[in-house]
Amino acid sequence: MSIEKSTKAARGSVQCENTNINLLKANDYVADIIRNEMAKTKTLLINITSSAGSGKTTLMQKTAEKLKDKLTMAVMVGDLETERDAERIRESGIQALQIVTGGICHLEAQMVHQVLPEYNLEDIDLLFIENVGNLVCPASFDLGEDYRVTLMATTEGDDKPKKYPRMFLTSDMMLVSKSDLLPYLPFSVDAVIKDAREVNHELEVLQISALKGEGIDAWCDWLLNKIKEKQA
Amino acid sequence: MHETSIVNSIIKTLELEFEEEKLDKMSAIYLKVGKLSNIEPRLLHNAYTAKYPCGTKFHSIKLHIESTEIQIQCEVCNHITSVINYRFLCEKCDRPSKNLIQGEEMLIHKVEFED
Ligand SMILES: Nc1nc2c(ncn2[C@@H]2O[C@H](COP(=O)(O)OP(=O)(O)OP(=O)(O)O)[C@@H](O)[C@H]2O)c(=O)[nH]1
Ligand SMILES: [Mg+2]
Ligand SMILES: [Zn+2]
Repeated sequence: MSIEKSTKAARGSVQCENTNINLLKANDYVADIIRNEMAKTKTLLINITSSAGSGKTTLMQKTAEKLKDKLTMAVMVGDLETERDAERIRESGIQALQIVTGGICHLEAQMVHQVLPEYNLEDIDLLFIENVGNLVCPASFDLGEDYRVTLMATTEGDDKPKKYPRMFLTSDMMLVSKSDLLPYLPFSVDAVIKDAREVNHELEVLQISALKGEGIDAWCDWLLNKIKEKQA
Repeated sequence: MHETSIVNSIIKTLELEFEEEKLDKMSAIYLKVGKLSNIEPRLLHNAYTAKYPCGTKFHSIKLHIESTEIQIQCEVCNHITSVINYRFLCEKCDRPSKNLIQGEEMLIHKVEFED
């Protein structure tokens, strides 16, 4: 006991401070700035997440095709190294910028905020953020989005919601993508919806194929509705 | 990679919160991270040591990580349920709930300074 005391005295006094601060506070602070900006310009901001290769970029292309005559849409793409996805999306005739994360496996609010000046937000009704393909860390980083949409491809197996619960818990919409492949795969849409709703009973679900077009009209209607609400 | 950016966030957040002079005296950080936070304590410790090896500014800060279970409180009957297998369902009345009271947090719960 006395030894402990003496070492403590030698090292000086220890003060303790209860902080209880969110360790992502720096991120969330910037996310709120983005949210405020989007509220002013009435731009609907959608954060698109999924595992790698679930069809995010293809969906952006398809959505651009369907909606670009009705409204102004733009995309921001997070990618580890390349410019490819942004190029693919630009081919559909809409503005798309790449945020190269340089190896970071998710987007942070600061990265989104940095490229916002490149967009003329006053004119943009719908801005998509294609997040880095990964269901783990993007779940923790608020980007100031109005809605979070998670793609879950039929090729991934139907056990994802319970493997990555935080992503499904924080999403507003789950798109079961690549539905055209269902006849060839041991994938149960019902099972995946059941699991996802055990995690998040408010989760909306649509089944889509960006390739064959199934569900794309319903998806675009959902977006149009959300835009209308935001601009009301 | 994920853990590295969490370490960055912790330090960034503390830099926002405390004066430099005070930061220099920081000796311990206590984190409370929920089972839903996707933070693996062991990996976070490794990331911290990788980022601040011997001889660097924050190396001597001790990182304590407490991991918390997922709990929801039913909006209807107020019962608190420990969530098992990610079934967000009140165990008493079977209603689904997203009313998390624990398990999602990523908190810098406490810090210690030494003179
Ligand atoms: N069969 C089928 N294939 C699809 C569909 N949508 C996308 N694909 C294919 O899936 C592959 C990946 O699609 P992407 O759109 O690049 O996926 P992504 O999620 O953007 O990929 P990352 O950005 O690398 O994470 C491509 O070969 C697409 O042609 C679909 O609806 N049906
Ligand atoms: Mg892509
Ligand atoms: Zn209940």
